[in-house]
Amino acid sequence: MAQAVQKLVAKVPTLIGAAATYSKPRLATFWHYAKVELVPPSPAEIPQAFIGIKNIVTGVNSGRLGQTTVKDAFRNGLVCTEVLMWFYIGECIGKGGIVGYAV
Amino acid sequence: MVPPVAVSPLIKTARYSALIAGIVFGKRRYDELKPIAAEERRIEEEEKKVREEQEKIAKALAEASEESILK
Repeated sequence: MAQAVQKLVAKVPTLIGAAATYSKPRLATFWHYAKVELVPPSPAEIPQAFIGIKNIVTGVNSGRLGQTTVKDAFRNGLVCTEVLMWFYIGECIGKGGIVGYAV
Repeated sequence: MVPPVAVSPLIKTARYSALIAGIVFGKRRYDELKPIAAEERRIEEEEKKVREEQEKIAKALAEASEESILK
């Protein structure tokens, strides 16, 4: 039993090294995409967001949105779902836990 | 590799405002639920004490009144 634990402890540095070599390229690709896609909006982009909302409202009023294809509507639905999930992630951060409130 | 896509500013603001709104909502709800849970725990403890006392009395009565020829 003690020998098995010793062998395991001796293997830990190699395991950590293997984990690092495995994850480094994957982290690099993640960072490559996250730098462009996940970055928060710069202060100059926030007015553009309001213009975007106005475009959507005019699109609803003019009936243009009734012409969206099912494929586009599905894609937009997925994007909206993703934005909603960020709210729940924020709630998990605020309540300090993943499942349930730790009261 | 596919080049990273340029996300529209509306989606970016919506994402991060939803994140901040979620953090604020979670923190507020936690602060609101914590005293309620403490209150419920206190009431539960008091009721448990009362129940245990009653059980002790009932057990003592039952022991005293049981008729057995083994005593």
